[in-house]
Amino acid sequence: MNILVINSGSSSLKYQLYNMTDESVLAKGLVERIGMDSSILTHKPTGKQEVTEVSEILEHNTAIRKVLACLTDKVHGVLESTDEINAVGHRVVHGGEFFKESSIVDADAKTKIRQLIDLAPLHNPAAMMGITATEINMPGVPQVVVFDTAFHQTMPEKAYMYAIPRVLYNKYKVRRYGAHGTSHDFVSKAAAEYLELPLNDLKIITCHIGNGASVTAVQGGVSVDTSMGMTPLEGLMMGTRSGDLDPAIVPYVMNKMELSVGEVNSMLNKHSGLLAISGSSSDMRDIIEGAEKGEPNSMLAFEMYEYRLRKYIGSYAAAMNGVDVIVFTAGVGENAALLREKVLNNLTFLGIELDPAANKVRSGDPRRISTANSKVQVLVVPTNEELVIARDTHRIVQGINS
Amino acid sequence: MNFKKIGVIGGGTMGQGISEMLAAKGLDVMLVEKTEERLNYSYEMIEASLDKQMEKWAITAAEKKLILSRIEKVTHFAELSSCDMVIETITEDLEAKQKVFNQLDQVCPSHVILASNTSTLSLTELASSTIYPERVIGMHFIYPVAKVDLVEIVRGLKTSDATFEDTKAFVDEIVEKKGVMIYESPGFVTSRLICLFINEAMHVLQEGVATAEDIDDAMRMGYQFQYGPLEMADHFGLDSVLAALERMFREFGELKYRPSTILKKMVRAGQLGMKSGEGFFKYDKDGDRV
Repeated sequence: MNILVINSGSSSLKYQLYNMTDESVLAKGLVERIGMDSSILTHKPTGKQEVTEVSEILEHNTAIRKVLACLTDKVHGVLESTDEINAVGHRVVHGGEFFKESSIVDADAKTKIRQLIDLAPLHNPAAMMGITATEINMPGVPQVVVFDTAFHQTMPEKAYMYAIPRVLYNKYKVRRYGAHGTSHDFVSKAAAEYLELPLNDLKIITCHIGNGASVTAVQGGVSVDTSMGMTPLEGLMMGTRSGDLDPAIVPYVMNKMELSVGEVNSMLNKHSGLLAISGSSSDMRDIIEGAEKGEPNSMLAFEMYEYRLRKYIGSYAAAMNGVDVIVFTAGVGENAALLREKVLNNLTFLGIELDPAANKVRSGDPRRISTANSKVQVLVVPTNEELVIARDTHRIVQGINS
Repeated sequence: MNFKKIGVIGGGTMGQGISEMLAAKGLDVMLVEKTEERLNYSYEMIEASLDKQMEKWAITAAEKKLILSRIEKVTHFAELSSCDMVIETITEDLEAKQKVFNQLDQVCPSHVILASNTSTLSLTELASSTIYPERVIGMHFIYPVAKVDLVEIVRGLKTSDATFEDTKAFVDEIVEKKGVMIYESPGFVTSRLICLFINEAMHVLQEGVATAEDIDDAMRMGYQFQYGPLEMADHFGLDSVLAALERMFREFGELKYRPSTILKKMVRAGQLGMKSGEGFFKYDKDGDRV
């Protein structure tokens, strides 16, 4: 079975085509600058030359048509015809309280995704455009939606409620939803598999540290708490996002600087985090480079980032009354050995012992970076959200077919 | 109607604001001024405005670059032939505006909407000298364009329903502001009401009922205006307020529109408000009150 995985942003669309018999990637690519007359389509068929095409792509419908044309192209295509695509899986950012797991796309699912636009105004409309465009271009092909929030729907009430008037939850569903669920789910399962230990018995803390970053407490295979909140702004310090702060700062600053709601949102989401403290970059590689040169702002940015991550790991160990495994994943988590080293060397009270040599190894495979004596196993597990989407799509579509 | 590229004629305060706002919404803009120097000046002012927004964290450096990249500087009308709509924002002078519309008739295909940002002039009169009056419409943006989410869409006598519908869709869906439909009348709704408000505040000041500060505080705090009437007049430019009142006084012939003498006096003295550094209040060169 061939499955096309689509991740639609408001002006971009990423895709990967999987052959599910061996979970191999047949092709992947990206359409950027949708809505402009110079949109860029980058198509990478496995084992063949990468191709780039610049053309006018005004909306997602045209984008998908172009992607399908690339996939079936005589020269750089990988399929004879689009009939060989058996199902399509979409990434959707917000599933609210409706979706506790991935779902087939039907009228009901579409209505619910639309209803959630209020909670994810930037992301859910893009997903809907991707779904509609797929319907138009590949009529009859089953579609599945996989949600960033679904994995966290297992959180108990005490973890997802905010201590504010209840009417806000009742009326507007103000609560913690979390994000990166597909990734936390994938790496926690992969960790148990790597360690050959039963997932049900494990207390795992998964650290998805990329441009956006979140930590999740996974107990017995389910999410019991996560650092991102109603929106992806809460929790860890990130590239350009502030993470946790005293909520009273928001009205105070709005008043002092005469900021509008839009301006203060932009400040916290785009002008904060590593960028604000370093004054130079939102990229952890630049921050580490600056810190190694002794540049004081980069040093502070790194220290704050590390400190806040470490505090979350500590608090989730407390939340679960223990921790068996800590997992690092995503861009920064998989590559920033220095960050992992600083975090872990300051968590020795948990019985963690870092293997410095193993920590420095760069690889695309899951690996252990703690010593044999360490009371907590620490792993680096490369994430693969697209594969999870493909697997879920495969499972759900097969379930329907059988 | 697919709106992708919009021509903006005139790089004054309103032309700058409209160009910047359209570019921020993702549209391509052709900004037209008479000379290279004026064009560069307008462009620099847009850049300065974006810098100010960056200071307030409203946009990032990348977003500023993207917005500026969408604004093309143009000195010849002929280049506007590729635009999907043209918005005229030059000074409130009927003859000058008519000249612009006559030139646009020569370059813009007949289906392209020609809009004027006039705040007081007659759309019917403006359209009367054009070849296709049915495509002429008023689109009155209010200063500061980026912050005020209202546009008065003004229909002249011959403006077609299709032109109105397309303009309304443009304002509501693309510009994402509230478009209110107004039939041609001097001062429309906003200018007519606000000028009377300002004029009455000046009468109150003149009669010694209260000081300028207290009049403004009373209305600002008492009725939740962002600025009091006198500071508002300083922002608009006292000469513009005077011109608008005089036009309405002439058109309606009613005494309530007669400009207060203090307004005339201040304009004659060159105290025009924020732009001259002094009006009812004093301002520094960034336009902030001192």
